[in-house]
Amino acid sequence: MTRYVARRLAFAAFLVVAVSSGSFVLARLAPGDFVAGSLGINARPETIERERARYGLDKPIAAQYRQWLANVVRLDFGTSLLYDRPVRELVPERAANTAILAVTGLTLATLAGLLLGSVSATRRGGVLTGAIRAFSVVFLSLPPLLTSLFLVFLAARTGWFPISGIRSSSSSPAGSTLDLLHHLVVPACALALPLAALFERLQSQAMREVIGERFVLAASARGVPWSRIVWRDALKAALRPVAAVYGLVVGTLLSGSFAVEVITAWPGLGSLMLDALRARDVYLVAGCAGAGAVFLAVGTLVSDLALAMVDPRARE
Amino acid sequence: MGQVRHLGRRVVRRRTSHGRLFGLALVVVAALAATAAPVIAPHASNRQFPGLLNAPPTWPHIVDDRGAWRAPFIYRWRLVNQLEQRYDEDRSASLPLIWFKGGTLVQSSDEVVAPLLLLGADSFGRDVFSRLLFGARISLGLAIVASLGALLIGGAMGGAAGYVGGYLDDGLMRASDFVMVLPAMYVALALRSVLPLVLTSAVVFTLLASIFAVVGAPFIARGVRAIVRSERRLDYASAAQALGASDLRLLLRHLLPAARGFVAVEITMLVPAFIVAEATLSYVGLGFPDPVASWGTMLHDAANVTVFADFPWLLSPAAAMFLVVLGLNLILQDGTPIKGVARSGAGVRDQAASRLGYERPM
Amino acid sequence: MLAKNLANQAEDAAQSDDSACKIIFRRRVARTLRRPIFWPAGQFLTRHARSVAAGIALAATAFLGDACRSTPTPPGAATSAASPHGGALVASIRTEPVSFNRLAARDAASDLVATLTQARLVRINRETHEVEPSLAERWTSSPDARQVTFTLRQNVRFSDGHPFTADDVLFTFEALYDPRANAVLADSMQAGGKNMQVSAPDSRTIVITFATPFAPGVRVLDSLPILPRHKLGQALQDGTFAKAWGLSTPPSEIVGLGSFVLAEHAPGQRLVFARNPHYWRIAPDGGPLPYLDRLTLEIIPDQNAELLRLGSGQLDATYTEIAADAYATVKRAADEGRVKISDVGIGEADTFWFNLKPGAFARDPRAAWLQRDELRRAISMAVDRKAFADTVFLGAGEPVYGVETPANKKWYWTGTPKTPHDPAGAKALLATIGLEDRNGDGMLEDARGQAVRFTVITQAGRPRLERGVSVVREELKRIGVAMDVATLEGNTVAQRIGTGQYEAVYFHVSRSDTDPGTSPDFWFSSGAAHLWNMQQPSPATDWERRIDELMTRQIATLDEAERKRLFDDVQRIFAEHEPVIYFAAPHVYVATSSRVVRATPAITLFPILWAPDAVAVVR
Repeated sequence: MTRYVARRLAFAAFLVVAVSSGSFVLARLAPGDFVAGSLGINARPETIERERARYGLDKPIAAQYRQWLANVVRLDFGTSLLYDRPVRELVPERAANTAILAVTGLTLATLAGLLLGSVSATRRGGVLTGAIRAFSVVFLSLPPLLTSLFLVFLAARTGWFPISGIRSSSSSPAGSTLDLLHHLVVPACALALPLAALFERLQSQAMREVIGERFVLAASARGVPWSRIVWRDALKAALRPVAAVYGLVVGTLLSGSFAVEVITAWPGLGSLMLDALRARDVYLVAGCAGAGAVFLAVGTLVSDLALAMVDPRARE
Repeated sequence: MGQVRHLGRRVVRRRTSHGRLFGLALVVVAALAATAAPVIAPHASNRQFPGLLNAPPTWPHIVDDRGAWRAPFIYRWRLVNQLEQRYDEDRSASLPLIWFKGGTLVQSSDEVVAPLLLLGADSFGRDVFSRLLFGARISLGLAIVASLGALLIGGAMGGAAGYVGGYLDDGLMRASDFVMVLPAMYVALALRSVLPLVLTSAVVFTLLASIFAVVGAPFIARGVRAIVRSERRLDYASAAQALGASDLRLLLRHLLPAARGFVAVEITMLVPAFIVAEATLSYVGLGFPDPVASWGTMLHDAANVTVFADFPWLLSPAAAMFLVVLGLNLILQDGTPIKGVARSGAGVRDQAASRLGYERPM
Repeated sequence: MLAKNLANQAEDAAQSDDSACKIIFRRRVARTLRRPIFWPAGQFLTRHARSVAAGIALAATAFLGDACRSTPTPPGAATSAASPHGGALVASIRTEPVSFNRLAARDAASDLVATLTQARLVRINRETHEVEPSLAERWTSSPDARQVTFTLRQNVRFSDGHPFTADDVLFTFEALYDPRANAVLADSMQAGGKNMQVSAPDSRTIVITFATPFAPGVRVLDSLPILPRHKLGQALQDGTFAKAWGLSTPPSEIVGLGSFVLAEHAPGQRLVFARNPHYWRIAPDGGPLPYLDRLTLEIIPDQNAELLRLGSGQLDATYTEIAADAYATVKRAADEGRVKISDVGIGEADTFWFNLKPGAFARDPRAAWLQRDELRRAISMAVDRKAFADTVFLGAGEPVYGVETPANKKWYWTGTPKTPHDPAGAKALLATIGLEDRNGDGMLEDARGQAVRFTVITQAGRPRLERGVSVVREELKRIGVAMDVATLEGNTVAQRIGTGQYEAVYFHVSRSDTDPGTSPDFWFSSGAAHLWNMQQPSPATDWERRIDELMTRQIATLDEAERKRLFDDVQRIFAEHEPVIYFAAPHVYVATSSRVVRATPAITLFPILWAPDAVAVVR
């Protein structure tokens, strides 16, 4: 077991380095660079050269990469060109915000998705199943941009929830958690709805397959109440596909969904990454991509362990 | 060999349910509409009507103001305020619809001043309905081809990883993680910079399909791997192996099809994601040339507050996408509970067990 | 249980496994309607159609936001005769500022923070475009336009009470030109390519000397905020000036001469400013300025959220003007009394130009005609500017025929020829350079049979540009010219422009000031912003040489009438050769909430907050 975890961690470290390096190199290779973008087309060539030298962008890719790698080993991930702050400070600050959002959204989505999926699997037809299926397909087919926009629009119309931001300006320290929760509703829903739809579909499918199995028949024949079969035994066995993609979901959520974050003005990692990509901020891009790789590696490790837990057949 | 095949085949034939039929109907209608677009669509997809920017839909009426029944006709829109894009229905003259003229199914009798806008016009004054039909070819075609590609690549990766295990498993899964976390925008940018400045639709289509297939594969690979790994240990797999089935056959015939349900859900998720991603990639320059309509760009242009409040007909690609995805989902992920065998190759099934049915569920 | 189910199943062998109740019900229905029991259509109607109908109904109610529209909030009372002093305003910005030190940051948010917290020697009134005294009470220019002497205001204090003297102005220029400080404004604060010389004969006087005669010299000082030596002097000496006043600086350290002080900074969310008690400007009624007690800048990256907040009354002023696309939504809020919209005049047009660098198309068979004046004039004639304005700006636009628009009252040449919309004339003009339809396919070819076809690059994601370029393409198709459009990402376009790797560009180039002397980089052929052929070692064409001469004289003389005459000549030459083609410019609409009673909206980077001390709200 420990050997397995150790091997996974080693691979994860390799993945993080590979992704960061890959992003770094790609950011340099892409046409245009930070200086050209920030100075605009009116800049004088001397200014451009001077700025490039200041940021180290005039060196060949290999030299800059080696310099960056040497710094990374000393845990210095460079200074963001766009924000002029160390990457080491920026990324965790934003990642914390995204984590709050991601955890809330994920909890909501898991509860709703698994619940609804089980319900729709164990009933045969009827309005409820059809409605659940329609709901899932709606939110699977709607682009996340439209979902968040629509929810923000609803929030504005009804005035029940704040439209954007993470905290209000006039929140007292005592009520700040409540204020945060108030602001959390719209972005968390925007994040959770498509996920809940995905989980529901997966769970419904898997549950239906499991219910046709022999052990269900056997348990029922022995007189175990049907609800207990469904909610204890079948559910656990049916968690396999959900557990398989859970890691991916956790990983991508923690990296931030920029559609949701931009529209609801949530200062998270997704919008940071988008800004960095647009501005060609090589160090910040490498840092964000590395963080994303870390989250994904952790997520997949957790998901593989969860998979082993729910499905003993999958253990090594 | 014959016995192996018998073990692999489902014992009870699954009846085609009406849910499936409905789904099939939806998809077939969509496919027909897309292929017959030049005939059904009243206008060309890039024909602009200068005085009708963001005009509301012209509903066909059959009862006129005096209560009499007539052949279908429309009223024209009169511009009230151009900046606010407000229109008034001009009820003074009714324009009958003309069928089978000029190579199209239906048209208004005065196409220049009062064109038939079944779903209104967009911000350029182009007919949304025609663009929806023409865009269906591009968007649906791209999404389906890319999904099949992702299915192939992801299925192969996941199957190999789940079957062999060990270092190959780790290596393949880390490779798929790498693909997922790498910023696709820069890959697209780097790609765009080495391509010629002007790209034809065909080139863009192939490029996008390949990029999407590669980017969508990790999701499928992960689930398929988990399923194959656990299925491999089941009795029927060892039985098949004992009977002499080769690894490849075992994989292709018995293990991979077990992931069918999962794949169905994934395709339901990937198709709309690809349609939308096409619009995102057009930001970095990898989009279709301007006159070509696609649902992704239509939705992207419509994704703002003004549209929700004032011009909701611009969101019709979302409704169309919903219907198509619903159809796909109904076909792939059947509504009725699976009778008999839960998955192929499960061995001999007890018929009574299948007839157990579902009591009051809870 | 088991037995009962098996019995049911045995009865309806061909049915799927339904519950008993359902089967009985269906039987009853079937009997009533005299249909066979397993009536597929019936099942269709009772099973999945319901789910689909439910789904469609859900989607329909979801998308028709009208159903959930709440009653509009009562309009804010804008007819207040009460004192305008006091109150709070909430405005929005798109991104967080990079630094509170204006000399260390290029982004617009940092510029806005500096506008609020710092003051300059002079201020350009963005409504009248005239220079107004700010920290300098009055100034005189020497006749040769090489020296300006400023008399500073007396008894002015920084926001922490420290007195303001000429020494702070000296310090600001020291920091500006210090190589270790890397000040971003260093390039724009130059005359003739050389730094300005500054001296302070006494604590109330500043003398600025230019290397070459520079008539608009006073105007460029509008962008230089005066920084406190007592706060930043040490950092300049230590060489850490570029890092001084970064985002993590405590607000009390940010000291300035502006109308507001930074009170609070919530990273990624908002900046809160309070009134500067030591602000030196007085209101016309004798009370202190600014009118506002408190100003909040909310960081809202997305324009949709910004518009929604404006419409629901949570925001008082938006970051930029309202684009024509968003007008309908804002107008609705205005009709309900929550928002006020002002039409501030004609803004800037987008620019269309060809690569006119000699030798850029050396081996290209189209080199014979691609850089010709006639091609550009034909394009200018082929586009119906009125239809262009109608499509791109939804009717809220005006045709534009040259570099300056009538909105620039002081410098616009009233003799600017208004190119008529004449497609036939355009085709005739093209025929004179050998471009005709030789094979009857409706498109033009040159003498060698090469199709008249070129590629224009533009930026993706900007509706104005995308619409404009598609209108131009359609118009050109009518005269037989094929134009391919390549929409690229913003940075890529900027890079291609900078390195000259393009055939034609459709882009938006903005200028900061109406005085042409402040954009030497655009007018001079050696300039870095001479779009069609940047940084020429010597003028490539005769007309560019003439423009260089005229502009040199224009910048050097203080005589306003002479400067106008010279610039009229420049515009005439420009109109003759049309290196850049302009089509139409939009009306600029600025929206504020109805709480804002006093504001001076103008066509500038910050439509309301360029004059923050003059903004008042109803309390």
